[in-house]
Amino acid sequence: MSEAYVTDDSLVTADSSGYDRALDGTIALGIVGFVLGLVTLIDLVSLSSSGAALAETLATLLVVVAGGVGTVALSSWANVTPVDSQRIRGVTAGVLLALLGLTLAAYAVPVTLATLLGGLLLVEAMVIATAGVVSNIGLVDTEPNATAGLLAGFAFGAFGLLLGAVLGGTVLGSGGFLWAIVALIAGIGLFALAIVPREDLGSTLPAAVVVGALGATIATATIGVGWQWNPDAISGGFTGGAVIPVFLLFGTLIAAWSAAKCRAGFGARGRQYGAFLVINLNAVLMVSIMAAIVVFVTIKGVGYSVRGSTIGALAGLVLLSPLVVLAVRTARTPAGSEEWRGGARQLFRLLPLAVVGSVTALLVSVLVTGEKLEYGYTYTVLENRESVVLDTSVAITPETTVGSLVLVLPTLLLFVYFFRQYGSLRDVGTELDRVEAVRRRLPLAIAAIAVLTGALAILGASPAGLPLGPVAGVVVVGAGSVAAVGLAALPLAGLLAGDEALPERAVDRARLFTLSVFGGLSLLAAVLVLQGPATVAPAVFGRGIVPLAALLGALVSATTATILVTATRAADETITRRLLGEELSLALAATAGYLALLGSHVALTKQNFSLGVSVANAGSLSVPMAMQPYIPLGAEPGGIFPAIVGTVWLVIGATTFAVPLGVGAAVFLTEYAEQGRLTEVVEVATNALWSTPSIVFGLFGATFLIPRIGGDESLLAGMLVLGFMLLPLVLITSREAIKAVPDEYRDASAALGVSQWETIRSVVLPASMPGVITGVILGVGRIAGETAPLILVLGSTLNSTSAVEVLNGFRFTTAPPFIANEALLSASASLPTQVWAVIAAGVSGSPSMGWATAFILLAVVLTFYAVGITARTYFRKKLNYE
Amino acid sequence: MSNAINDDEQDEQTAAGGVEIATDSVTTSGESEEEVREEWIDYRFDGEAKLSVSDLDVWYGDDHALKSVSMDIPENSVTALIGPSGCGKSTFLRCLNRMNDRIKAARIDGSVELEGTEIYDANANLVELRKRVGMVFQSPNPFPKSIRDNISYGPRKHGDIEKGLLARLFGRDDTEAEDELVEQSLKQAAIWDEVSDRLDDNALGLSGGQQQRLCIARCLAVDPEVILMDEPASALDPIATSKIEDLVETLSEEYTVVIVTHNMQQAARISDQTAVFLTGGELVEFDDTDKIFENPESQRVEDYITGKFG
Repeated sequence: MSEAYVTDDSLVTADSSGYDRALDGTIALGIVGFVLGLVTLIDLVSLSSSGAALAETLATLLVVVAGGVGTVALSSWANVTPVDSQRIRGVTAGVLLALLGLTLAAYAVPVTLATLLGGLLLVEAMVIATAGVVSNIGLVDTEPNATAGLLAGFAFGAFGLLLGAVLGGTVLGSGGFLWAIVALIAGIGLFALAIVPREDLGSTLPAAVVVGALGATIATATIGVGWQWNPDAISGGFTGGAVIPVFLLFGTLIAAWSAAKCRAGFGARGRQYGAFLVINLNAVLMVSIMAAIVVFVTIKGVGYSVRGSTIGALAGLVLLSPLVVLAVRTARTPAGSEEWRGGARQLFRLLPLAVVGSVTALLVSVLVTGEKLEYGYTYTVLENRESVVLDTSVAITPETTVGSLVLVLPTLLLFVYFFRQYGSLRDVGTELDRVEAVRRRLPLAIAAIAVLTGALAILGASPAGLPLGPVAGVVVVGAGSVAAVGLAALPLAGLLAGDEALPERAVDRARLFTLSVFGGLSLLAAVLVLQGPATVAPAVFGRGIVPLAALLGALVSATTATILVTATRAADETITRRLLGEELSLALAATAGYLALLGSHVALTKQNFSLGVSVANAGSLSVPMAMQPYIPLGAEPGGIFPAIVGTVWLVIGATTFAVPLGVGAAVFLTEYAEQGRLTEVVEVATNALWSTPSIVFGLFGATFLIPRIGGDESLLAGMLVLGFMLLPLVLITSREAIKAVPDEYRDASAALGVSQWETIRSVVLPASMPGVITGVILGVGRIAGETAPLILVLGSTLNSTSAVEVLNGFRFTTAPPFIANEALLSASASLPTQVWAVIAAGVSGSPSMGWATAFILLAVVLTFYAVGITARTYFRKKLNYE
Repeated sequence: MSNAINDDEQDEQTAAGGVEIATDSVTTSGESEEEVREEWIDYRFDGEAKLSVSDLDVWYGDDHALKSVSMDIPENSVTALIGPSGCGKSTFLRCLNRMNDRIKAARIDGSVELEGTEIYDANANLVELRKRVGMVFQSPNPFPKSIRDNISYGPRKHGDIEKGLLARLFGRDDTEAEDELVEQSLKQAAIWDEVSDRLDDNALGLSGGQQQRLCIARCLAVDPEVILMDEPASALDPIATSKIEDLVETLSEEYTVVIVTHNMQQAARISDQTAVFLTGGELVEFDDTDKIFENPESQRVEDYITGKFG
């Protein structure tokens, strides 16, 4: 968006007047009102809430926003994501103040949210009217045009007609024609008011009138929460609950536009800023409407599906850590130009960081206060055909326990991420003789441990009665752990010793970093693996040596990272900063790696570890709906774990069947086959196959496949049928993607004497990967939610009490077919059939459970999407220069 | 559209089968050589012929694109092919490493010998031929890979460089050999100084002129004897063009370069001998560059060079 006329600095400068500040506040108030309008529109907060309850809700919102703003401010201060735009700073502060004001008002005045929001509109109307008048009598320096323009005139005329009709109809009754006269007067009046006076009055006074009228209607409860209008002409009607948010959205939009015009001094700049604000708020509105379907299913299903969920605050923080990194990365995305850097786009880049920061603040506050954060609510189930309302809650507990898997997965992800960020520190820093000696011997030591591990695994822990495993194990594991901690501490010692400035010292000791991270991590990993075959887990003070070492390593590396951040701030040379950045990536990778080892130790040995915080195998995260199977006669309704597992296996099975086949066929058809009748027929056939109704696939599966495999409804049949459905789409999109690869690549490869198959494999396929993945993403979206064929071939197993065990189901036999899997040949539950049966067919369970299942299905599909889109982005980045 | 693309993508094998090998015109003995030579453009040079073309005809469908062209291309020199658009010079160039095989509609008749070996022989090894006769195209076409991978692509596919986990497991790791090859090729193509600090960046991030020199380096990495260049500077600005021209002159010390160009000044500047093709796919004159530009035999060539025709 061009902002050629509106530079950031000129809008908010150090010498901004009170007039400017007031208008910034008005814009911020408008934004807050707009967001509250959206919030009330989807019923997140009731319009009729008032007093302390309302104040608390608003205060929560304030805390969340403040946390976000605070995090961004902090990261701006630390130069991670510098925010230069004065406009963002000004309006953000305004948003905080506006929220604070609303919260205080809710405490002080016992009125409903609707009234409060009406008041908000009235205040807005007053400020913009005053601003217009102040500008018109020349108290401030502005550059208004002669008129606000015909467009504004017609727009306000239309608003006037509408408002006049509604208000006239409400007050005077809809009989007769009086209301029509009122409407006409209002329309013409506003039209004249907009175009006759100078621009500063023409674009503020009509806006003030419209906004004021809307505000007064809401504030005086002329249209209140309980208001209802049922016109005779249509069945159904309008309620206050729907009309008030719409009024609010509309009013704040106009008010913000008008205030923005005032703020930029009218004229060309004013139009620019006004349009900018309206377009942005409109974009928010569009996105909200598009998200409405998702939100609707979520609202219907989320209550039931997260009932009784708990998460330990520490576990929450651990799960959040990859998101923090991702958000920082988004915020740091290099800006294309100066114009790009400033302005609202920067805000959108910072938003994720702000959100993550808010959640982090919330989790930390739970940990610090030690008080459980609980949100209690009710949900409805059907018992004996009667609705029963049950109490439940979701909670963040102040537990300091982290599940081992909850620890391993994010830390492993972070380790890989930071390791990939790390380039190389080869030939940096001083070579130290003793360090070099260690570097040379370390691979030998690790290899020796590996050999010992292998030998013990083959011979058993005590070959020929000799307690080789236990004795050697304890010694090696102990020594290895101590050595690993020593290695981890090396760079820290290097940073602390010496008398040059910190950045120089850090760069000088770079060799310690590489040795420490790679040596320490691999040594500890080696002894961790050795523990199994050696059947030992040596401990001191009742705690395992290995996890102790891992924890120490993580702490030391984290300390090193912190010191490095300080050093980076102190460094002024680019090359030094770059090297320090490398070291920082390495130190962070080490922290994540040691934590992953700690988690793996707990997961492998099944021994919980506790030192201040604890790492355990269970208990830090619980979502009964997603993690439990159905409990037939229990007090609790149980969950749909088997259906989730079924759907995940179906998708995995269908894609492993269809993707290689589809891509292979596409390669043959585009690269090898002669273009002619055959390829045309295949093309038509694939298109036809893609538009074949899914129930037809189901019938084919039920009558053709099932009699030939297993004879009964089965998971395998489901996978195959879904695979057949996926095949044409993968084929079509892959063909298009392969065709789109420029012929220059093929020529270049051929001219180097490379065979056609090698060319396809190493140039054509990688270049067409993003397109192929797009096809798979679309196809998976379709098949994951496919219901009709599954009813026929998978068996609509409902409320399953056990999940299919595909991985454990493989059995190897000495006779053909050598490999068998009972689980693949048995019926399974799946999410779409579960939703269909519960909601549409009413087979069993409560409708609310069906909605919850639908919500989880949505979440599963979105997860597959996310994986696919990540893969596509990865390949695109590899192919394109960025 | 789809047909147009796919026409170029037929199987090498089927295409090779479609090429008619005119064995009768292959020069096998001394006496028939004399016979053929009488019809040739009379051009004598010292030393060996690297490539020897005799009676080469090419048809695209019914279009007779190249009419009975015969010429000897000397070793370690720059041979320029000039002529108006559509005169068949690019077609001729593409016959020299059998890139025309990739065009299904093309029918080739005649003989091309590389150091005395017939390249249109039914048993000719295409991989070996294209390793010995490299090609640089009109528009720069680096692969969407890193600069390093672009250079090492050819040698890796030919098994001259093995690296990665599997290679290491079997005790072979040519990472250092690869580094050396990459450095040497990029230095030969006079681009090393510009890219040495970003070998792992995507090659598509280079400028057009750099991309073209990268393509030359990629071609050099498989250690060819002949380099065919199809208007390598036509898509580049004057500065990049002069860099490519300097490079061509340097390369001619070690390689036999055949270059197609539209730009007569360029041909005059860089080539040792020039062949002039005129409309209809005829080779009209082939001689030392100085002779062609100063005192051509044929009136048509003189008209073309002085701008009266073309």
